[in-house]
Amino acid sequence: MQYHPQPAPGTARPWAFPAPERGALPNGLTVLRCHRPGQQVVAVEIFLDAPLDAEPEGLDGVATIMSRALNEGTDKHTAEEFAAELERCGATLDAHADHPGVRVSLEVPASRLAKALALVAEALRAPAFAESEIERLVRNRLDEIPHEQANPARRAAKQLSKELFPATARMSRPRQGTEETVERIDAAAVRAFFDAHIRPSTAIAVVVGDLTGIDLDALLADTLGDWSGDTAAPRPAPPITADDTGRVVIVDRPGAVQTQLLIGRIGADRHDSVWPAQVLGTYCLGGTLTSRLDRVLREEKGYTYGVRAFAQVLRSSAPDSASGATGAAMLAISGSVDTESTEPALKDLWTVLRTLAAEGLTDEERETAVQNLVGVAPLKFETAASVAGTLADQVEQHLPDDYQAQLYARLAETGTVEATAAVVNAFPGDRLVTILVGDAARIEEPVRALGIGEVSVVTG
Amino acid sequence: MPMGHTATAQAGSGGLTATEHRLANGLRVVLSEDHLTPVAAVCLWYDVGSRHEVKGRTGLAHLFEHLMFQGSGQVKGNGHFELVQGAGGSLNGTTSFERTNYFETMPTHQLELALWLEADRMGSLLAALDEESMENQRDVVKNERRQRYDNVPYGTAFEKLTALAYPEGHPYHHTPIGSMADLDAATLEDARTFFRTYYAPNNAVLSVVGDIDPEQTLAWIEKYFGSIPSHDGKQPPRDGTLPEVIGEQLREEVREEVPARALMAAYRLPHDGTRECDAADLALTVLGGGESSRLHNRLVRRDRTAVAAGFGLLRLAGAPSLGWLDVKMSGGVEVPQVEAAVDEELARFAADGPTPEEMERAQAQLEREWLDRLGTVAGRADELCRFAVLFGDPQLALTAVQRVLDVTAEEVQAAAKAQLRPDNRAVLVYEPVEPAEPADAADTDETDTDAHEGADQ
Repeated sequence: MQYHPQPAPGTARPWAFPAPERGALPNGLTVLRCHRPGQQVVAVEIFLDAPLDAEPEGLDGVATIMSRALNEGTDKHTAEEFAAELERCGATLDAHADHPGVRVSLEVPASRLAKALALVAEALRAPAFAESEIERLVRNRLDEIPHEQANPARRAAKQLSKELFPATARMSRPRQGTEETVERIDAAAVRAFFDAHIRPSTAIAVVVGDLTGIDLDALLADTLGDWSGDTAAPRPAPPITADDTGRVVIVDRPGAVQTQLLIGRIGADRHDSVWPAQVLGTYCLGGTLTSRLDRVLREEKGYTYGVRAFAQVLRSSAPDSASGATGAAMLAISGSVDTESTEPALKDLWTVLRTLAAEGLTDEERETAVQNLVGVAPLKFETAASVAGTLADQVEQHLPDDYQAQLYARLAETGTVEATAAVVNAFPGDRLVTILVGDAARIEEPVRALGIGEVSVVTG
Repeated sequence: MPMGHTATAQAGSGGLTATEHRLANGLRVVLSEDHLTPVAAVCLWYDVGSRHEVKGRTGLAHLFEHLMFQGSGQVKGNGHFELVQGAGGSLNGTTSFERTNYFETMPTHQLELALWLEADRMGSLLAALDEESMENQRDVVKNERRQRYDNVPYGTAFEKLTALAYPEGHPYHHTPIGSMADLDAATLEDARTFFRTYYAPNNAVLSVVGDIDPEQTLAWIEKYFGSIPSHDGKQPPRDGTLPEVIGEQLREEVREEVPARALMAAYRLPHDGTRECDAADLALTVLGGGESSRLHNRLVRRDRTAVAAGFGLLRLAGAPSLGWLDVKMSGGVEVPQVEAAVDEELARFAADGPTPEEMERAQAQLEREWLDRLGTVAGRADELCRFAVLFGDPQLALTAVQRVLDVTAEEVQAAAKAQLRPDNRAVLVYEPVEPAEPADAADTDETDTDAHEGADQ
């Protein structure tokens, strides 16, 4: 073939993260809307202010069962009818409970938005919470738990939460409850949780998609506008604390062919001015196949299919809220390595962290990271669902509606020194809790010899 | 570069259009304009997958796909990843039974870079391919296999069912990930031969979709790909056709350390690209797609014998497609009880067919899935390549949803009657055992529905 020199880029066409229009319905529901031409599948995200730490003592999982029950019948439709009506619209509806609250996500072709939104409104206004359906959801949830326990990545995540957070904190325990707590949940408990926490005045709906020819105001008035409820006092958000004393916990899986790694602690959330630098630095450490970790662990040594470093906000509140800025993000490194390579992989991983702390990032690394993080934005936000998800995250984390748009500007301004400081602070080699789900008989002794912290073994 | 179809929207295409072109070296090119977002997707399908592999070299197509990211004539080491990501793009490659695809989604102004990179490796991969990257990527792929299949519960179910559903010696008898022994056995010379055999412009389709200037794009494609010589070294894959029904129920019981009993089955179904396959898709959707399906209502809601129950469809063009049943059972429930209920539901459906409401729901669900797939430039580029490579006509991608909506209830019933029968399936039953001796590495477990398609870079 004839070789040609690498082409130079053309002129970039400007792109900006879409600015939503904010408004409110008479019932107090806040609405963010965003018209995205060409996106025929409309995404609706509804945030409900029902955080996990609002669950009554001993009833972990009630928020999850309530969320699932929103899909299981109303005053007008039985559970089977409700599912059938939604699917007749070509819609999908998911609801799940997490630390900040409950998120209800609807996706539906624009032509059937009115009908699907009417069903969602019905579920929020008058959920049936029939005893037999709740009983079924509870049994179903109990059946799911062994599947989660068996999955190495899920098992590791559960153990890390248990290690990091004080036993009294809701965050230390599984989001969807344990066998012991889920068993106690009944229709009355679900109803009580709903009555106490679900109301339009503390909810926010985000609607994104091609809204051409849709009278969204009229449509909202007829659907979510019909949902009523009282007002509520602002909810306190207790500070998140974690014990990140460097240590290793092995979750024993005799015979496992791989070791699942999850190495983490907590750190800054989006309200902290360090966030853009932390994003940049974390990307350089482990954001992709060519980041520092995979360059060694995957592309040089072949120990893994891939290791990633990331920051995931657990819960956030604004500095000017009643409790102040009490949020935090989980900072973690995750991946799996073949059993034999567990010790050498961890050794290399710590060498990467120490080298980073000693020598810092290079300008070139920083430049590539900025180009990628900023440059991929138009790709990342092509669909309505991705835009709606990010807008709802902002709302959930008490961030301004232009946060994401501003973030790109701030990333571009972040220098190499700031990014280095942020990632070194985020992942200090001596303040990381390491969870290893693997064959203790084969990995315990070599890992102990590494000196990355005290080693303990728990059963799988 | 003769122009093929003109850019006129067909009925049911949602206003999307595509034009077709062919370079002198045989490279087929499909272009589709969409200026809503300043991005462009490049997708390249090579007409080679695990069905082309020979005995003793399973997994080679996928291992080779990894090697395509290890540098080429003018691109050093991981340069392909570094350059695309540094340009604000995203990229990957995947391998399935029937094809290997490579794709980049770029900001519009970086489109030319992606074309240059794809051409460089199509034309000059062997200039960079060495023992070091072969050994490294062999280890990476073995860890991919462990992570996605061997170290998760039910992980090897798909591999086991495929081996049951397609007889020994059939090109689809093994899955794209391959066996550990064959991954170990592959040599650098195997990889070189594989490239020389299958990686040629006349064995590929390139699609570019999004915010593009078609004339400029075509000129770049001619510039970068035009001098790559074509060759005809390719052997056609072994014939994958099989009788319409298996003719007996094939069965395997797996005793493993899994969290719950499971009943899985693969039904032999029509080849992709046929109206009968669309009808079967609708039948599976009514029976086991979503939360209003017959199996969900029966097993999860009413009998309460299953945690989850559903059907999926693995569409295949070169062999019968597979209807994939997956039921994870509730604690204490026995397999025969669930199996009898499944058979009863299938028999009832074959006897009565779908109700009008069920047809409406199934078609609405499949329509939304299509809108999702065509809603991104990358999804559209992939579908255009799919229809060009497998069925010779990319335009079919733009009307696929209409074909699903045209299928009648009678056709759906006929599909179920003909093929959703106990004597046309391979069954896999999981019986949990207590943890005992360390398991054999090649014999552990899970199912990841994404993995049915193949394996990502």
